Amino acid sequence: MSTVEAPADAQRGELSDWLRERISHAVSEFTAATALVVLFVALTFASPYFLTTDNLFNIGAQTAVIAIIATAQTMVIITKGIDLSVGSVAALAGVLGAMVVRDLGFPLWAATAVAIGVGALAGLLNGLLVTAARIPPFIATLGTMSVGRGLVFIITGAVGVYGLPRSFQLLGNGEIMGIPFAVVITVLVAVGVAFLLSQTRFGQYTYAMGSNLEAARRSGIRVGRHLTGVYVLAGVLVGLGGMIAASRVNSGQPNYGISLELDVIAAAVIGGASLFGGQGRIVGTIIGAFLIALVRNGAVLLDISIHYQQVIVGVIIWAAVYFDQYRRRRLESRG
Amino acid sequence: MAHTTTSRRARKPLLRAQAVLAAVAATALLSACGGVEVRDGGDGATKEASGQLKLAVVPKAVGADYWNTVKAGAECAAQRAGDVTVQWDGVTAETDVEGQVNLIQNFVTKKVDGIVYAATDSSALAPATDQALAAKIPVAMIDSGTSPQPSGVPLFATDNRASATEAAKLLAKELGPGNHDVALVEFQPGSQTNTERVDGFKAGLAQFPNLKLVGQQPSRSDVNEARRVTENILTANPNLKGIFAANEPSVLGAAQAIKAAGKSGKVVIIGWDAAPDEVAGLRSGQISALVVQNPFKMGYFGVDKMVKHLRDKAPLASADTGVTFVTKENIDSAEIKAVLEPSCANPPVQ
Repeated sequence: MSTVEAPADAQRGELSDWLRERISHAVSEFTAATALVVLFVALTFASPYFLTTDNLFNIGAQTAVIAIIATAQTMVIITKGIDLSVGSVAALAGVLGAMVVRDLGFPLWAATAVAIGVGALAGLLNGLLVTAARIPPFIATLGTMSVGRGLVFIITGAVGVYGLPRSFQLLGNGEIMGIPFAVVITVLVAVGVAFLLSQTRFGQYTYAMGSNLEAARRSGIRVGRHLTGVYVLAGVLVGLGGMIAASRVNSGQPNYGISLELDVIAAAVIGGASLFGGQGRIVGTIIGAFLIALVRNGAVLLDISIHYQQVIVGVIIWAAVYFDQYRRRRLESRG
Repeated sequence: MAHTTTSRRARKPLLRAQAVLAAVAATALLSACGGVEVRDGGDGATKEASGQLKLAVVPKAVGADYWNTVKAGAECAAQRAGDVTVQWDGVTAETDVEGQVNLIQNFVTKKVDGIVYAATDSSALAPATDQALAAKIPVAMIDSGTSPQPSGVPLFATDNRASATEAAKLLAKELGPGNHDVALVEFQPGSQTNTERVDGFKAGLAQFPNLKLVGQQPSRSDVNEARRVTENILTANPNLKGIFAANEPSVLGAAQAIKAAGKSGKVVIIGWDAAPDEVAGLRSGQISALVVQNPFKMGYFGVDKMVKHLRDKAPLASADTGVTFVTKENIDSAEIKAVLEPSCANPPVQ
């Protein structure tokens, strides 16, 4: 604001600054949401099979695991971290969840608890590596990714876990009042985490640590404990996601989730999460996950080859990150 | 502050315009790629009358030479039958089991007339097949079936286990009498095809007490990795005399490692599949024999039998598509040529 401006102008400038900032913040999310709506409408007109209950529920169930794990990833990204281990940990949770059912006769709820416990332990490990051992998140979770995949192969002997009862499919393929169970779980997880991030002190601390860790520490947040908590909670969701994935394919798959980390990071980034930390919202991430899912679904309905699907998803990632950077430059240029 | 209020205000509409632009661009890309097919898809009413059939053919993964041959076979059968369109789509990695489940579901939603596919995982895909059947869409499996395989769903595939046992016998024959160290380069531990070939090979090996399995390493279907593990096996076992490599990248990597170690011709390689480099290796004597499947026939049978089922109500019955053992001696025979270089003019489908 230059000092020669009249006071009235200055006030109006502040208002428009405030407005612009709100718009800037919403832009990535808004872009993704607009793309989602436009794509949805376009597909409705392009394919008679798109706007059917069956297809929409299919898309919902297909996206559930990615959406849940992307939610976990978003929490970590907000703290300026990254979790590369999600695919391996989801596979570990899934095969162990399947093994306790097959070998020990655990009921489904107990097996799910085991899977979630595995995820939580992996999250705790990641958190301690980052906070106590002070290994950068990228490296810490890269290690966990490798260790986790190795453990999956050791435990299973590199053979899938089969011979599960039909009830094992409940989480992934079951329905509750006609709605896929996986969709219901996804909604609960998304609403829960969104509430946690936006309405609680835990959420405030999470954003604060991502924006400026040192400032957060000096303002009295016990960052070590809190950051570990974020990784543990993320791990819980990854474990749950892994169990749903295993349930969807009615087996524990040792090779599940290879490159899953890239899919969920893409969903988070498309939805406006910034790898520089301090930014990201669950609603954006869910939109991002569904945007990718719609591209895949639409491509099949419209007979577009898998190669083009990948190009399209890549272009969407570019567009999303371009806006992230664009917004950042604008905010920085304001001084 | 570097910028004045006016310059920032001027940027605002630009920001909005670009946001919408990106959204539209993503959609435009999607619809541009599928622009032609959109009209085909909407033509549901006339489809029945003209007898036009739309079949989905799904490989385990797109991109490999092997699956392109399956595709050629499928398209050949479609072309010969007439009025059949094949929609070819697959996941990018054979390990993406869930992705394939989703893909099959999407084809069920699309209400294709029939689905011909190769299961990335036998149990995981069983529910997907059930969904298709429940929607009255017939299913035929190629290359890899499901477990359980519902009655009425045929499988057109290689008997991997029996063929790998034969490969072990071939290796024993090439090596001759005396004690020999042999190694196995597998590709993807945990995948069913891999398990069948490994088990089959070991069952064959068990019949020859003079052959000792000293190394077993996975290539993860990567040539570099195959070369690395083979080099390590060679280092650990300088007396290695034979290798069975269980798929294309494994064979190529193993052959490169043997060549780099200067042991070409001294270590017998029995390989699987018949990529151009493998055939070249066979001709140059680096590779002793190749177990060659008939992917063309799988694709051809899948579509051909499905069309006959849909049009003439012919029952769908499984068939072994067979393997051919290709050696330096028989490689130029007409029968082998038809398998190695399949074309729709001379399809290897008898």
